[in-house]
Amino acid sequence: MIKIKNVTMIYNGGKPALEDINLQVDRGDFLFLVGPSGSGKSTLIKLLIRELVPTKGEIYIAGRDLVHMRLRKVHLLRRDIGCVFQDFKLLPNKTIYENVAFALEVIGKSERAIKIQVPEALKLVGLGGKFDRYPGELSGGEQQRVSLARAFVNRPPLLLADEPTGNLDPSISMEIMSLLDRINKTGTTVLMATHDREMVNNLRKRVIALEHGKLVRDQARGVYGYGD
Amino acid sequence: MREAIENMRKNFAMSSAAISTTALSLFLVGIFLLMFFVWSSFAVETLSKLEVEVFLKDSAAPKQVQNFQNKILSWNEVKTIKYVSKEEALDIFKEKLKDNPGILQAMTGNPLPSSIRIFLKDPHQTKTVVNKINNYTGLNELVEDPKVDIKYGADYIEKLFSVIKMIGWMGLSAAALLCFASIILVSNTIRLNIFARRKEVAIMRLVGASKWFVRWPFLFEGMFQGLIGSLVAIGLVYFVKVWALRKVVETIPFLNLSINEALFLRLILGMVLGGVLIGATGSVIALRRFLKV
Repeated sequence: MIKIKNVTMIYNGGKPALEDINLQVDRGDFLFLVGPSGSGKSTLIKLLIRELVPTKGEIYIAGRDLVHMRLRKVHLLRRDIGCVFQDFKLLPNKTIYENVAFALEVIGKSERAIKIQVPEALKLVGLGGKFDRYPGELSGGEQQRVSLARAFVNRPPLLLADEPTGNLDPSISMEIMSLLDRINKTGTTVLMATHDREMVNNLRKRVIALEHGKLVRDQARGVYGYGD
Repeated sequence: MREAIENMRKNFAMSSAAISTTALSLFLVGIFLLMFFVWSSFAVETLSKLEVEVFLKDSAAPKQVQNFQNKILSWNEVKTIKYVSKEEALDIFKEKLKDNPGILQAMTGNPLPSSIRIFLKDPHQTKTVVNKINNYTGLNELVEDPKVDIKYGADYIEKLFSVIKMIGWMGLSAAALLCFASIILVSNTIRLNIFARRKEVAIMRLVGASKWFVRWPFLFEGMFQGLIGSLVAIGLVYFVKVWALRKVVETIPFLNLSINEALFLRLILGMVLGGVLIGATGSVIALRRFLKV
């Protein structure tokens, strides 16, 4: 699903944010991306959605060559990737139904498909009765669930989550986590960057660790492994 | 589209600045083109009427006048000639000034000379014909003073043309500068809107909106501003055409200025197109930076 070969990323001539990264992720995998702040986790995610282009190396997602991809083809890549962020990135002036529907409108889905898929996705994340609420009226956990619904509504083969539980209480984090797990069970590959030691240690999924831009660890059933 | 109109309502001040600059620059372009049309149609008309007129002494003997006419008619460059008697000249003069009876009443007798009007096959041969007339032996007995009494307009027209051209170029470059300014202003308006909505734009891109999907509403907004600007400009130009032209014609009655309607229609269409183009260019420039993600 994801293949990263000898990738180095240097911002404007500074120190490398990522250095000689190699990574292979198979379809249906679930993996945690851990590491201290500034270790390059977010840079890696930005490379995967092609917000950035690596200074060196190759990146493939589902057979697509991201390094040589034309800018006007980038949106096609992003339709295959669902994204969840720490700050949710919801539109405050749209209801949660509209927020999720927006993701489908933007890629040109028909009105009919939207009317079926949006309620389905919102029910999946447990927000069946709150279609008309605005993001500001919801708790952080609920907002993150909306954002998950939006990421998943189009059934992308790959879901990237950049510290999706970073702003949430532990119990709520577990809810989000179990939702991600459920999404993973449907065959979606999930890559989740996180700081949540307990969660990583409990779930015993594949863990890759970044430090100072280098990939220092890749364990099949790993633990968080930092004494922060 | 609904969003575009909504945005314009919100940024009324900025929008109106963009619209009025567009209107102003298009108005100037329009006026200069209009003036150019008027002048060139005036010049073309004058050129096509171009003739050499030789005013005769009252004392010229009819026999000699006849010989002179025959001679002129034998020249290759001459299409036809027309003898205008003193009485005919007076009639023409009366007809021209029928709206100003005061001048006629002040006139006593008939001070107008008779003349020979020489129509040429090609206006560019005016000089040659004038030279031939000047070299005609016996001219002294027909004409008082060759410098004054042989009238032709070629030099005058050409000078006029070069002045018009120069004014036209100056005006058009000023207008081009203004067009550039309005592109910048439109682009700033749009940039402001995109900035206000940059989060939305970023999310659109994130969930896989194509560049055109994001671009279209802003582009539409820019084009709409340009269109409004051009409509305002057209209104002003039309006003100038109707009102100012009539004023000029009233003041200088014998100046026959007119504008070809088809040409004017083309000018209007060109202005609409120009406005939309200014708006579109402005928004594309504004969008470039925001779409690089």
